[in-house]
Amino acid sequence: MHLTRFRINTARLGARSLLASPQRMHAAVMSSFAGALPSDTSSSRTLWRLDRNAKAEVLLYIVSEERPDLTHLVEQAGWPTTAAWQTYDYGAFLSGLQAGGTWAFRLTANPVHHIRRKDGDPTKRTAHVTPQHQMGWLLARQEAAGFRILDTPPERRRLPQGDEFQLTVRDERRHRFEKTDAQGGRANRVPLVTVTFDGRLEVTDPEALRRTLTLGLGKAKAYGCGLMTLAKAV
Amino acid sequence: MSVLTLRLAGPLQSWGASARFARRTTETAPTKSGVTGLLAAALGRDRSADLSDLAALRFAVRIDQPGTRLRDFQTAHHADTDKAMPVSERFYLADAVFVAAVAGDDDLVRKLHAAVRAPVYLPYLGRRSCPPQGPVDLGVRDAGDPVEALKAEEWQAFEWYRQQRRRDPLVTLTILGESTASSGLGDTLRDQPVSFDPRHRRYALRSIVSTSVDVPNPRFSPPVPNRRTPVPVPRHEPEALLSPMDGP
Repeated sequence: MHLTRFRINTARLGARSLLASPQRMHAAVMSSFAGALPSDTSSSRTLWRLDRNAKAEVLLYIVSEERPDLTHLVEQAGWPTTAAWQTYDYGAFLSGLQAGGTWAFRLTANPVHHIRRKDGDPTKRTAHVTPQHQMGWLLARQEAAGFRILDTPPERRRLPQGDEFQLTVRDERRHRFEKTDAQGGRANRVPLVTVTFDGRLEVTDPEALRRTLTLGLGKAKAYGCGLMTLAKAV
Repeated sequence: MSVLTLRLAGPLQSWGASARFARRTTETAPTKSGVTGLLAAALGRDRSADLSDLAALRFAVRIDQPGTRLRDFQTAHHADTDKAMPVSERFYLADAVFVAAVAGDDDLVRKLHAAVRAPVYLPYLGRRSCPPQGPVDLGVRDAGDPVEALKAEEWQAFEWYRQQRRRDPLVTLTILGESTASSGLGDTLRDQPVSFDPRHRRYALRSIVSTSVDVPNPRFSPPVPNRRTPVPVPRHEPEALLSPMDGP
């Protein structure tokens, strides 16, 4: 497995165009794999995420089976003569994960649930819109995903509720774009709500966590959601 | 002396003082002749009746919401004969609110108050096509001077206008009063009604003195400090633990 980090030059027109549309960004990421053909459905999942740390510090992370070639991204949204992307060996890190280890994590996800508006209607996928429900969405998935989000020690809690876990939700983004139906050719409007979770976790099931880190968590993986990364817990 | 205060508010108003022929302009505030006519109509007086008692009332008006000037190019036809009327330009004040005050002896003011509450002829704001919005009368105040009564009156502007001005704790309103010996001479306007007789309407000159008053704004809400302080983004460097592969 490979983890790739690419810094986006936000001053460039090409970068603006990519950052404005998760569809365009996905297409750019997917076209960086020379070996993958669009018709090939057996290939493993490619995950990507945008970390907007500051206005001019926007990083693209890609987790993929194959090693990507981001030359086309550097040409339109990078620094072609001075900076390139960096690919890291992810496999060794993943195999080193052990139960009981604690890590800081970051995850951009699309927290949704399925509701019906009145009896008899089919259920529809609907975004969670409050931070409380968005946190609840992640907490409900942590066990199957192979980790446990750490509790805040009682003496460090500041709120009557909502900070029981070492978990924050930030940077909610609402996208709305057109997508043409593959079969019917109808034009659909796709609403998408994404949030970024930061927090600390303890590994409970290394095998499940490896699956989470490489295959993603939740919906909308083609729109920059579902990629979780771990960093040293400080 | 007591003072009757009137709230003159409506979608359209038109208060002409110097308008003649086909171009019918409006003043920026209600005229004494217009308000006197409203009171005379409420009492049920004919156009040719004597109005010396009403004309002797002391008059002042406060501009609570100035409104905007509206021009109407009117091409009317007679309803029965379909004959074209003279093409005319008519000016209105849209979304304006005024408080007018008339001061006189107690009996006359009480009589006028009763008449405004149960008018014989319906009141209108300067022109027959401009009905008032809501009751016209605010009540009888025990004051010696119409300007003093207006200074004590609450701000009467429409709710949406008060909301627009919610950042101002006080609003400064212009009061147009009549000049007295102590206040000196003001601007003159041919607006002192002498006769409303349709065959020969007559107006005398009257002088106008402008003052202003600061009235508290009941919808005042101080601006709240911006609570959206930028949340620091926690550092997260997953690549710090990984070994880079050679070359890009």
